[in-house]
Amino acid sequence: MSDLFGLFFNSVFVGNILLAYFLGMCSFVAVSKNLRTAVGLGLAVVFVLTITSPANWFIYHFLLAPGALSWAGLPDVDLNFLKYIAFIATIAAMVQVVEMIIDRYSPALYANLGVFLPLIAVNCAILGTSLFMVERNYTFVESVVFGFGSGTGWMLAIITMAAIRVRMRYANVPVGLRGFGITMIVSGLMAMSFMIFSGMGT
Amino acid sequence: MKNVKQALDRLEIYFHKGAKLERFHPLYEATRTIFFVPGEATVCMPALRDSLDLKRFMSLVILALIPQTLFGMVNVGTMALMAEGGAVSWGHALYRGVEVFLPMLVVSYGVGLAWEGLFAVVRGHKISEGFLVTGLLFPLTLPPTVPLWQVAAGISFGVVVGKEVFGGTGRNILNPALTARAFLFFSYPISMSGDSVWIATRAVDAVTGATPLSLTLGARGDMVPEAMIRHGYTFWNVFSGGIPGSVGETSALLCMVSAVFLCVVGVASFRIIVGGVIGALVMGFAAALVSTELSPWHWINPWHHLIMGGFAFGITFMATDPVSAPGTNGARWVYGFFIGVLTVIVRVYNTAYAEGVMLAILFMNLFSPMLEIIEIKLRTGKRVPNV
Repeated sequence: MSDLFGLFFNSVFVGNILLAYFLGMCSFVAVSKNLRTAVGLGLAVVFVLTITSPANWFIYHFLLAPGALSWAGLPDVDLNFLKYIAFIATIAAMVQVVEMIIDRYSPALYANLGVFLPLIAVNCAILGTSLFMVERNYTFVESVVFGFGSGTGWMLAIITMAAIRVRMRYANVPVGLRGFGITMIVSGLMAMSFMIFSGMGT
Repeated sequence: MKNVKQALDRLEIYFHKGAKLERFHPLYEATRTIFFVPGEATVCMPALRDSLDLKRFMSLVILALIPQTLFGMVNVGTMALMAEGGAVSWGHALYRGVEVFLPMLVVSYGVGLAWEGLFAVVRGHKISEGFLVTGLLFPLTLPPTVPLWQVAAGISFGVVVGKEVFGGTGRNILNPALTARAFLFFSYPISMSGDSVWIATRAVDAVTGATPLSLTLGARGDMVPEAMIRHGYTFWNVFSGGIPGSVGETSALLCMVSAVFLCVVGVASFRIIVGGVIGALVMGFAAALVSTELSPWHWINPWHHLIMGGFAFGITFMATDPVSAPGTNGARWVYGFFIGVLTVIVRVYNTAYAEGVMLAILFMNLFSPMLEIIEIKLRTGKRVPNV
């Protein structure tokens, strides 16, 4: 149990998917302009990550890993090279399903998220989490916790960034740095502050 | 004073709009306000939150820092003389301390003011008094052996990236002095951490020792209290500051005096300081409860966290920075509390760093806009709508 808590803490703070591995930067920079959409997108990413990480675990361990097809009588087949395309297809399909469910049961939230919901499919943090999950040999339960933790870390980072950008409306940034420039500088300063946790855990 | 005023008045026409030296008006303005109170009030943060003029505000902080600076210099000299094994006298110690610290201060102020002046002239804003505090705080947080070019590099990063790209004093999100120190800490770790950087001795074979905090890094169990006594770190020594460390941070006693002074004159928020102390004690107590007998912190009282390392200095001068700390009262409690908690977490559980107060404050700086927004949401949510 404490191992799982440690894994959660690690994936939120120590190895923050955004501020330690710099995955998912594009939507982080683009969507953090507005606090409300940042919270919505953050929640959607948490949700999608918590589903796709275990789903990809199943696909990898029962279809793609070397020797995974032995249940079908094909122990020599190694489909590892299909990892990327299979994961991306799963993610895209999952996002579509989530989109349809939200559209059916909560049209208001669907309208709020707008185009950002389908865009989650191309968020590098989602694919990155699935690949890390394979690379680090997580078990099924660990993959659920890791997906949830990565999503929470991503949401924490984007909400913090959105709040900082609310405050920066009063800043007087040099013209050449306005917009993306200053956002990248703030991301760098955030990553520096998050190094407080580097070296803890594994 | 009269002569100064006349001379300044005579010079003023050259800096008017349309005059020859118009570009350099910020420099003239800065010189003038050193001698005379300006007629106009500040219009942007941090004065938006307080009716004090920014210059009075910052000079109160400088006043609170003077005892730290003097004590720091004497302490640096004393430690160096003791390590060389010679006789220690106050005058000699102060002389050695001035010799070490004055160049650091001059470089910090000189390079920082050059950047500040460049931005002020090019962008046409005023030179802000906030820099006087940053430029003094920064060298006080450095070990006495740091090379001067690193002081220059650090203050350049702190002033330019930490403050000026956001538009100057009152608009930055992180504390500039701590940004500068963190930059040095991660870029040049050899001159910023370890056991040998804390005493500015000239003798090659001098005895250098671990600081109280670095003793806990490698030690196990009840060795720590014994090891502290062996190194001469009694309670009084650690509390009063007669130990090796960064120049200005060793004396928790002086920090307490400054904290009370800053709270009474209304510059620092007592909520942040008290919140930080509570946070450190709660987390220190929890860590001592769950630690095994082999852990270095098991035999040490939780209140040791308050007097060791830079906690007292950081929570007094850095965490209470009116720009990067939250401006609402509830958020201040939370902000201070988590600085205390994170400091102890890093000291006890993060084996990569001995001290965590610098990064804890920077980390909470990031969250201060969010804490403010949450508190405002909660308060306006309670309000009865004005029908």
